Amino acid sequence: MINLIQTLIDALALGSLYALAALGIGLLFGILRLINFSYGDLITLGAYALIVPSADAVANMFIGNWPAALMIVAVCLIVVIAALLSDALVFSHIRRAEPSTLMIASFAVSYVIQNGILMVYGARPKSANLWSDLSYQITFGELHIPLLQIVTIAATLVLMAGLTLLLKRTSLGIQMRAAAEDFKMARYLGVRGNMVIGLAFALSGVLAAVAALLLLTQTGSLSQTMGTPLMLFAFIATVVGGMGSLLGAAAGGFAVAFASVFLQAYLPEEFRPFRDSFVFAIVILMLLFRPSGLIPTKALVERV
Amino acid sequence: MLEIKGLAVSYGATTALAGVALHVEAQEAVCVVGPNGAGKSTLMAAIAGGVSPRAGSITYEGKPILGMRPENIARQGISLVPEGRHVFGTLTVEENLFIGTYAMADRRHAAADAEMLLGYFPRLKERWRQPAGRLSGGEQQMLVIARALMTRPRLLLVDEPSLGLAPKIVDTVYETLLSLRRERQLTLLINEQSSERMLRFSDRIYVIRNGRILLHGRTEELRDGEAIARAYFGFDDKADAALEAAP
Ligand SMILES: Nc1ncnc2c1ncn2[C@@H]1O[C@H](COP(=O)(O)OP(=O)(O)O)[C@@H](O)[C@H]1O
Ligand SMILES: [Mg+2]
Repeated sequence: MINLIQTLIDALALGSLYALAALGIGLLFGILRLINFSYGDLITLGAYALIVPSADAVANMFIGNWPAALMIVAVCLIVVIAALLSDALVFSHIRRAEPSTLMIASFAVSYVIQNGILMVYGARPKSANLWSDLSYQITFGELHIPLLQIVTIAATLVLMAGLTLLLKRTSLGIQMRAAAEDFKMARYLGVRGNMVIGLAFALSGVLAAVAALLLLTQTGSLSQTMGTPLMLFAFIATVVGGMGSLLGAAAGGFAVAFASVFLQAYLPEEFRPFRDSFVFAIVILMLLFRPSGLIPTKALVERV
Repeated sequence: MLEIKGLAVSYGATTALAGVALHVEAQEAVCVVGPNGAGKSTLMAAIAGGVSPRAGSITYEGKPILGMRPENIARQGISLVPEGRHVFGTLTVEENLFIGTYAMADRRHAAADAEMLLGYFPRLKERWRQPAGRLSGGEQQMLVIARALMTRPRLLLVDEPSLGLAPKIVDTVYETLLSLRRERQLTLLINEQSSERMLRFSDRIYVIRNGRILLHGRTEELRDGEAIARAYFGFDDKADAALEAAP
């Protein structure tokens, strides 16, 4: 029983991280039909933003030493600016391109960010201690829950609630939903295309920044590809959830995490190294039966 | 009010419009009639900024609007009700209706305008909080017209409002459009495939085929429908003759 609850909480915490990243990816896909492979690098950038730029092996905290509130805001700002820059410098010039062209452009952006980080910070992974207090375990009887897991779940819930409120209750959010459904029609009604797209990039930047902080706290190490695995799982989550649906992206994040964590806990020992293969097999099986994901969107019109 | 000259639009190798000239005066109801594929929707998209023409000019109230973004053309007072309705299916009726006023940050008149439009389309009030995707075709058509009018356009472009609707509902839609024209000094440009209804509702008619205007004239002069039929079905020499004869 205790084991099961422990596993459940592990899955919830991992699912939160996946859901955050999947929402960031889903937002951009929803508005732009952009499958953004540079999203993982935005997460990486958010983590590197905390330390003093140098090629040293040890990471010296810079923004990472600021008070938490200030640090979070600063990291969000940096990642949001990077996301907006990637739009201004690259994606905005190919608005009318095919989704496949956009995706390939995002590989290029990813390459640029990764190599930029390599140039400034060097190629060696660094260890970095962020919020080490969060490794403290809260004990309920036999149950030990790291504070970080609670913070991760809480942060995700807060962000998801905020995002929902924004999309449902504010006039900007309603414009975003309209644009996600039918971009051209929204513009015919006066919705500013670049404003909506900018907002989508900014929001996805905030989500990437928070994911970066949580990820770094958990792993304690920095490398120029640290965001990539998270991004890949987030992509799988959006596909599982149904591309184009934010609710689906979040649900997909939790679904993938649950599969992963429960396989890890209950697979026979000798199969555990291949856990991800099992996860992917489940995903493929699921897509055979529900090709448009858990929560399909009907409005996947190609934008002209 | 609207003046189009030498408008040419291509999609890759397909020429959709070639040398189209058209004008609309304030508070007119002008109809563009033509078969499927004639270029009617392309013409409206070009006016509303949704496609980039290869050549030509579009002036609205004396101001060139060709090359402007769709959202800025909407701000000039032109609103497009496109073919196939395009409601935002997951948004509620209310959200659909107000989207233009949110976008233009002009909400002074929004509540009063909505009230007025709901007087015309009471069905929408009953569906107020439902996703627009659940409305019937007729209700969706009413919603998109009301939604376009919420932006307070002076020129309303309506692309094939009768497509896929029962004739009785189409009549209601037209009657509403015309009384809105009277009461709100609205100017109408409407696309249709058949001229039958337009002979009752419009002041002037353009016949378009293969991306060219083949005939235009005042509705009362085209009332017998024969010149229109000739232009529409493509007996080109006669259509050209009719074109000479038209004012
Ligand atoms: N997005 C598009 N891409 C390629 N060709 C198009 C596109 N839209 C319209 N066309 C072509 O342009 C021509 C005019 O189409 P359209 O303006 O839709 O005519 P109508 O509205 O009168 O039926 C047709 O030959 C059509 O096939
Ligand atoms: Mg058409």
